[in-house]
Amino acid sequence: MRMVYFGRYLVIAILMALAGIAIPVQIVRLQNSQEVAGITGQGVMVWKTFYPARGEIYDRHGHLLAGNKTVYEIGVDLTSNPDLQTIALAAQMSLGMDISEAMTKMTDVPDGTRYVVLDDFVPVENAEKLMQLQKDARADPSGRNLDALNFRAHLMRSYPENDLASTVLGYVTEDNHGYMGVEEKYDNVLAGIPVTLLVPADPRRAPEYPQIPPGQTLILTIDREIQASVEHILDNALISTGASSGTIIVMDPRTGEILAMSSTPRMDPNDYQQVNQIFPGETPFNRAISQAYEPGSVAKIFTMAGALDSGKVTPGTIFLDTGSIVVGGVTIYNWDRGAWGYQDMTGCLAHSLNVCLAWVSDRQMGSDLFYSYMQRFGLGHLTGIDLAGETPGRLKLPGDSDWYPVDLGTNAFGQGISATSIQMVMGASALANDGKMVYPHVLLAQVRDGHQSNMSPQVVGSPISAETAHTLSDMLANALESESSDALVPGYRIAGKTGTAQIPTAYGYDPDNINASFIGWGPLDDPRFLVYVWLEKPQTNKAASVVAAPIFKQVVEDLVVLMGIPPDSIRSGNGQ
Amino acid sequence: MNNVTQIVLKVRQAPWRVQRQWVGLFLLGLVLVAMVAAIYLNITVRATLAGREIQMLESNTTNDQPDIPENQRINSDLETQLAGLTSVESMQQRAEAMGFQPAVPDDFTYVTVPGYSPTNAVDMSIPSSGTPLAPLLLPEYNESLFDWLARQLASSVQAGGQP
Repeated sequence: MRMVYFGRYLVIAILMALAGIAIPVQIVRLQNSQEVAGITGQGVMVWKTFYPARGEIYDRHGHLLAGNKTVYEIGVDLTSNPDLQTIALAAQMSLGMDISEAMTKMTDVPDGTRYVVLDDFVPVENAEKLMQLQKDARADPSGRNLDALNFRAHLMRSYPENDLASTVLGYVTEDNHGYMGVEEKYDNVLAGIPVTLLVPADPRRAPEYPQIPPGQTLILTIDREIQASVEHILDNALISTGASSGTIIVMDPRTGEILAMSSTPRMDPNDYQQVNQIFPGETPFNRAISQAYEPGSVAKIFTMAGALDSGKVTPGTIFLDTGSIVVGGVTIYNWDRGAWGYQDMTGCLAHSLNVCLAWVSDRQMGSDLFYSYMQRFGLGHLTGIDLAGETPGRLKLPGDSDWYPVDLGTNAFGQGISATSIQMVMGASALANDGKMVYPHVLLAQVRDGHQSNMSPQVVGSPISAETAHTLSDMLANALESESSDALVPGYRIAGKTGTAQIPTAYGYDPDNINASFIGWGPLDDPRFLVYVWLEKPQTNKAASVVAAPIFKQVVEDLVVLMGIPPDSIRSGNGQ
Repeated sequence: MNNVTQIVLKVRQAPWRVQRQWVGLFLLGLVLVAMVAAIYLNITVRATLAGREIQMLESNTTNDQPDIPENQRINSDLETQLAGLTSVESMQQRAEAMGFQPAVPDDFTYVTVPGYSPTNAVDMSIPSSGTPLAPLLLPEYNESLFDWLARQLASSVQAGGQP
């Protein structure tokens, strides 16, 4: 009897022992099985693409200027015996794709191709149409099959304000690279470029996945309300004056922050494929920084600033204008070929007398001193503004092969030199900001991981003293008031200067066209804005005081509202 | 005394008793090994499932379950749509439709407010909550048994209970 029980016990013991041993054996086998490893991905590294979003761009008040929107990549799984004819027909119906084109894409592929992209960057509405067709086909008993279609949602650049500030922003192509403006200048910061990396397929190693940082968010100095106002005024100005193009820049002269920058033509960066049609040939994307021109009389403010700062003249210095002056063997005349008699320096500026300014540069300052001041104001050098595509202009200097003695006279009133609008603005910032010239910039701050890093204003030089800056500003304000300029804004004291410049051609100066400019800043006791207006080839009138000064006034009238700047009488405490 | 000795001898002489003891010990060992193996399997499976869940969340494929990139994409998309709806152009159109018109300097009445400093630019940094964030991993996942005992004792003492 005991032997019988023993046998039973033995069998049970062996079975349980086998079962007990089988568990750890199975564990070990599972851990090391090639078959299971193939399923779980143990020890296997796979290529994986990460799609971080491109950083967003905001204006100074947090309004989105450049964001991202969803689009679809539509592909076909060629391994699932796809119904190519039906897919091509569906692509035509929903994507507007030509049937033969769709067929070619799916059939004209190398042997062994498993997946082909039928279309990419498809708008959501079109992709949804195709998804609906796919659903309908599944319910359709006729056997038409769209199951091989794959949809992959991803982001692409989008500009909700359309062409607003487009010359500042630039654009991004489908390969996620930025061109022009902020998009190009800060492309590596905004980035968000897809990255393909080897990652472990084993789920237990999931924490080892790399964290691909998204692109940084940028906050610009641009104020979208001011930008919209400036663009509206500029567009209307081109219509009313018949000018071929125009530029307006608004900067805070205390910090160098660009509040608005507009030039024509502009394009909607959402439709960047039009870039070659809108900017044919040499047409600059952003004239404000990329097109140098002879600025004309607005440059007289630099000549007069240098002369005052060096003590060569004072506001009360008297000049007898006989209507002409010979510099370097060449006779220089006033813009009206008239003789204006005795004039003090304010009168020279008020009447924009070329002869007087040539006398200041040639007879009073001399070439070394004059060009020293021109260089201090940054002419002939890049400002370094953080936008792609800036050009330096040209300031010929004594010793250069193409410099002639007469240039000392003509350069004094802005002919024979070339400068960009942003260079003029940067130089003038010294006059509006106590002699300190500030670095113009459009980046206000960067945001990353919830931390905002603000840009600090940078002073790039002090070409003149604060006293000279105040003196010249006062002279310019008096000049505008004495002439009852169209640039004057009731309630606000403004300093400014017109510029009517001839346009050089290969055969001398163009007799039919001019560049009309105006530069001004205010309020005079505490300048908050500096505005530069440039109209190229206006047709209704050939005087900047007629075509450019009123544009400046319109801009300032909007600025004081949008920036909340009370009239002088209220700020000084003398108002009602 | 003799009876006791006889009983002991009888027990010793019963080989099936000795064998049963050995079998029992062997089975006990097996049960322990099986328990350890089961716990190991359980932990491994849970870790693997968690890893798979992370992979799914990190996945870029469009599926019925929203994942991290999908949520980020949708957020970004919605933000851009909202910006389009509140763009300068559309806001101007809405304002004009409601009977508003652009203000001019003469429309303003300025009031002096001592000490008022208008906001010059947006601050998009995330404000600090002032309280530390909850730890990502609960203590149970990285403390030893003794740490756990010490924590329990400390918490019961703090709560006024008996340790």
